[in-house]
Amino acid sequence: MSILETIAQAVINCDEEQAPKLVEQALTEGLPAAQILNEGLLVGMTEVGRLFREGEYFVPEVLIAAEAMKASTELLKPHLAKDGVKPAATAVIGTVKGDLHDIGKNLVAIMLEGAGFGVVDLGVDVTPQKFVEACQQQPVHLVALSALLTTTMPMMEATIKALRDALPTPPVILVGGAPITDGFAKTIGASGYGRDAASGAELAKQMCLKKAS
Amino acid sequence: MTSRERVARILARQPVDRVPRFDWYWDETAVEFKAALGPLYDDKAAAACTGGKFGSVDNYTLWEYYDFDISQTAWPDFRLTLTKPEILDESDEWVLLRDANFAELRWWKHKMGTPEHVRFGIDTPEKWAEVKHLLTPSKDRIRWDEFWPRYHRAKARDRFVCYAAVEIFESVKDILGHEIMLKAMIRNPKWLHDVFDTYTTLQIQMFELAEAEGMVCDGAFIYGDMAYKTGPFMSPRHYREFSYPYHKRYFDEFHKRGMPVLFHSDGDIRPVIPDLIKAGVDAINPLESRAGMDVRELAPQYGDQLSFCGNIDVTVLTTNDREKVYHEVSTKLAAGMAKNCYIYHSDHSIPPGVTLDTYHYVLQLLDELGTHK
Repeated sequence: MSILETIAQAVINCDEEQAPKLVEQALTEGLPAAQILNEGLLVGMTEVGRLFREGEYFVPEVLIAAEAMKASTELLKPHLAKDGVKPAATAVIGTVKGDLHDIGKNLVAIMLEGAGFGVVDLGVDVTPQKFVEACQQQPVHLVALSALLTTTMPMMEATIKALRDALPTPPVILVGGAPITDGFAKTIGASGYGRDAASGAELAKQMCLKKAS
Repeated sequence: MTSRERVARILARQPVDRVPRFDWYWDETAVEFKAALGPLYDDKAAAACTGGKFGSVDNYTLWEYYDFDISQTAWPDFRLTLTKPEILDESDEWVLLRDANFAELRWWKHKMGTPEHVRFGIDTPEKWAEVKHLLTPSKDRIRWDEFWPRYHRAKARDRFVCYAAVEIFESVKDILGHEIMLKAMIRNPKWLHDVFDTYTTLQIQMFELAEAEGMVCDGAFIYGDMAYKTGPFMSPRHYREFSYPYHKRYFDEFHKRGMPVLFHSDGDIRPVIPDLIKAGVDAINPLESRAGMDVRELAPQYGDQLSFCGNIDVTVLTTNDREKVYHEVSTKLAAGMAKNCYIYHSDHSIPPGVTLDTYHYVLQLLDELGTHK
C-alpha cells in the first residue's frame, strides 16, 4: 500500500493519531502537499462520505474522521500556501434566518471540506443579506442552506430570491434539513436538495467541481 | 373502559373500545388554540399547578380540555445544579445563556425550538470529574407544586399517568453536547460509560424518590432524541455498547413495578428498534414521518411486540387539506388498530399552521374511525 493509500485508510479508520503522522512522513518523503491532500486525505473522506451515505458509518465516525483530516490538513496548510494551491471551489454555508440548529449544517460543512471545497461557514440564523454579502466578497461556487423547522422553510425561498436578485451569476444553491424535500427544493427554485450531509456533498461535487475546474 | 385501562391494554396489544389519544403542541400553537377556544376552565387552578418549563399552562390545559388518555408527571431536572441560567448576551429575539450544566446556548425569546449550541463547559474527563458529585438525588429536582395537582386530577379521571423523564442520551447531550458525546464513543469510551452510568443511577434514584413521595404511576414516558432525519446518531453497534445497558437497567426498574415504557425519540430509529424492544421499550413515540417512520410498515412488522404512539404527519396537517388529512389519519389508524397497538399522537408536536378547524377534524376522525365496532 502506498503512503497516500495509507493516509486515506487512516482517515477511513478514524485514526486521529496516525493520519497526521503519515502526512508528516509523506511531506518528509518529498510528496507535494496538494497530492497528499487530493490523493490521500480527500480520497479517505470521500470514502467516509460513501460509508455514511450507505448507513455503514454514523455521526461519531464522521466526526472523528473529520478530526483526523483537520489535524492532517493543518500540517499541509503552510505548504499549500507556499505552492499557491487553493481549494477547487468555495462553498458558503449557513442555517437560514430564524433557525438556530447547527448540527446538520456542521456535518454538511465537514462533508464539503472532505469533498475539496473551501468552506465559509456563516453560522446559524443567517439573514438573506448576509448570504448575498458573503457571495459578493469572494468567488463562490456553492451556497448551502440549512433549515430544521417547518416555520423557517419559507426563509430558504427568501434567501434564494435574494441571491438570484443580487448576483449576476448566482452560484449553485443546495438546500437540506429535516423538513426539506426534493419537491420543496424545486418549488423554491433551489438548484438541488441534499437528503443528508453526504448526499448533499456528493451532489455539490457533481454540480460545482467540474464547473470550477 | 377507562383511559387507564385503554392505554394499558394497547401497550399489551390487547383489544380496546377506541384508540387512545395524546398529543403535544408547540407553544405558539397552544397559545393560538387556547385563544381561539376561550377560557378552558378556571385559570387560577391552572396557574396554581403550571408555569414551569415542561408544563406550560397551554399544553396542560389542552391535554385536559381534549380529555386525552395519557397524562405526564414528575419531569425531574437532571442538571448539575438547579441555579438560574446566567445571561451572557441578548437581543430582542434571542438570549445567550450559560445554564446550570455550564453549557452556553442561544435560545429564541418568543418561540420554541432547539437552541444553538455555542459552547459546552464540560468537555473533558477532568472537568467531568470535578462536577459529577453534583448529580445527587434531591426533592428539589421535581417541581412538586406544578406536578402534584396535575397528577391528582389525572388520577381522579382515571387517566394513564406516566412518570415522564429523559434518559441518558438526552441528559448527556445537555452537558457535553452531541459532538463531544458522540466523539467520546470512539475517543474515550471509558469516560462516556462513566457519564452514562452516573446519569442512569441518578435517573433511577429520582424515580424511586418520586415513588417514595407517593407519585405512583401507571407507566413511564421516557424521552431521548437519539436520531435525526436519516437515522440514529450512532450505529446499532454503538447503541448496544453505550445505550442498551443503561436503558435496560432503567427500564427494568419500571417493569419490576408493572409499568410499561413509552420511549420518545425524534428521527429515524428503525435501525435500533429490535434493540429497543430487547431493552424493554413497550411503545415508541412520535414516529416522525419525514424521517421515514411509518406505522403502516412498522405495525405489521413489530406490532406483536411493540406499540406505536404517533406518526400523524404534521406536514400533512399543515396543508389543512381535509382530503389529505383524512388519508393520513385513516390509513395510519387502520394499520395500528389492526394490531391493537396504536395510540394517536402527531409525529412531533402540533406546529403553528395547523388550524384549530383541522385539528378538530383530526379528533373527529378519531371518533369516527378510531372506535372499534
